Amino acid sequence: MNERNERIHGVACTFRKVSDVFHAAEKVRDAGWKNWDVHTPFPIHGMDQAMGLPRSPVPRLTLLGGVTGFITGCLLTWYMNSYDYPLIVGGKPYWSVIFPFPVIYECTILFAAFGTFFGQFIFNRLPRHNHPLFDLPNFARVSDDTFMIVLEARDPQFHLDESRNFLQSLGGQEITVIRD
Amino acid sequence: MSSSLPHALTAHWKKFLVLGVVALAVVWSFAFIGVQNHENRQALSVLVGSLFWISILIGMLLLTMITRVFDAGWAPLVRRNWELLIVALPVVLLIGVVPLAFLTDFRHALWDWTDASHVLPSGHTVGHDPILQAKSWFLNEKFFLVRIALYVAVFGVLVTLLRRWSFAQDTDRTAGHTHRLHAVSAVGIPISAVALTMFAFDCLMALSYHWFSTMYGVWFFALSIRLALAVTVILTYKLSNGGWLDGLLNQAHRHVLGCLMLAFTVFWAYISFSQYFLIYTANIPEETFWYNIREIDAATGLKSEWWSVSMYLIFGFFFLPFLSLLFYRTKIVAGRLLTVAWIILIGGLVDLWFNALPRQVYDKSTPEGFVVTPFLTSSLLLDLAAIIGFGGIVIALFLRGAAKHETIPVHDPRILESINYHE
Repeated sequence: MNERNERIHGVACTFRKVSDVFHAAEKVRDAGWKNWDVHTPFPIHGMDQAMGLPRSPVPRLTLLGGVTGFITGCLLTWYMNSYDYPLIVGGKPYWSVIFPFPVIYECTILFAAFGTFFGQFIFNRLPRHNHPLFDLPNFARVSDDTFMIVLEARDPQFHLDESRNFLQSLGGQEITVIRD
Repeated sequence: MSSSLPHALTAHWKKFLVLGVVALAVVWSFAFIGVQNHENRQALSVLVGSLFWISILIGMLLLTMITRVFDAGWAPLVRRNWELLIVALPVVLLIGVVPLAFLTDFRHALWDWTDASHVLPSGHTVGHDPILQAKSWFLNEKFFLVRIALYVAVFGVLVTLLRRWSFAQDTDRTAGHTHRLHAVSAVGIPISAVALTMFAFDCLMALSYHWFSTMYGVWFFALSIRLALAVTVILTYKLSNGGWLDGLLNQAHRHVLGCLMLAFTVFWAYISFSQYFLIYTANIPEETFWYNIREIDAATGLKSEWWSVSMYLIFGFFFLPFLSLLFYRTKIVAGRLLTVAWIILIGGLVDLWFNALPRQVYDKSTPEGFVVTPFLTSSLLLDLAAIIGFGGIVIALFLRGAAKHETIPVHDPRILESINYHE
């Protein structure tokens, strides 16, 4: 990598047809690329597999949030009803898993939702106010009638000229270098 | 290409019929002898065995109608198997619950409230029970028999209509049948909801008629859908390995069935827990006794074996399937989904046992005036025989139907969408 390359975000190239971008994505995947993305105006079924994307890691944070919420709910009800201010209500024990279950369960749901919501923020690297791609003059068209594949410079395979040629060989139409 | 040749599997229908008839003959004989000797446990086997299959088939009837109403794109491939199975619903009712209700000896043996000479734990007889007198506008034998007949009629008519037009579409290729079935289902869902609620009240809740729970019908609904989905997973697994779903059932179909199993596992737990929770919180003796006899041995005050059964329901029928189904891989890997389906099927049977078997039997030598019928008895084997018996009939009818009708709804407007279904 030379100095010039470090200021480059990547190479973008546009496609006009779903089938073209789909098969191009499969070839990029098979070439072993890690840091790259496909931009389309609408979801394309099977694109995840064509890109070789693993499943989202967000559910793990959901589970973590749920377990945290369950424990929080247990501790909360135990502390208030049995430890800090023990009170007999309706002849029931100070604390059992039964009477505060709605509270425990709601805490589980709430924290699982937190895990999901903030988890997707983390994995989507949000909030983020700008992106080098937004400077591309034709980027707005990927929300209209154009498909785009972007190979990023941080991928170890990236080399400006080779990557440009690679995209050309995939049948890309307009090839643009994106600068940071 | 009107009708393809029947699949080789369908040739086995006679074996299942023989198995069913033999097992049912044995179970009914035991039940007859038992009733003559004033025992009701054998008759309960007939009830549990038939209710096990009735709940599966009611669940499938509802799933058929719900997927029709929502125009579910994934469903047609799986739904045809439900349509082939639900013909057994009126049959199992007619050879199971109907004779139990209409034969006086069996009715008196199972439903205490129908037998005026039955002795309650208080030492009084049912005939002198003010609680029954207050409920007699609903719990009287004539109305009870009318209701049982109505369940057969309601489910029978719905099953007939849902099957007739779906099969008609195979030959006349008319899309109008889909609209007609949509309308039947939209009307059928609320009617079935009322029918299955009342059915659960009459057949299960009324087994101990002092007790009442307004959530009982919803519990039965949740159980029915869970069991129906478990059987669907097991059946489609079998049919996609050497049956007519070979090469057609894909990962996305398993995923959708797995998601539904997870949803209804949670729903079942929500309903079952809420029923317990409200009774626990209100702490009214008329309600709590139902859970007390399922937890505490009245004679010793210690936890009884029914307590272990309830713990099994919490951990084996809720937590185990719930935690397994949370994982995406469980829902798409055929072998894992199949394992969870078997766990749910076994848990469903335990839940039926938990609801149907414990009874207070008058015994004035104990401090409470009664003993609770035990769980672990050899009669559990008779329950299994009853399940095999009714199951044999159900599978025989299913295979017989599969030989006569298309096993894939070839002219359903959504069949291609269903075959190519993806996540």
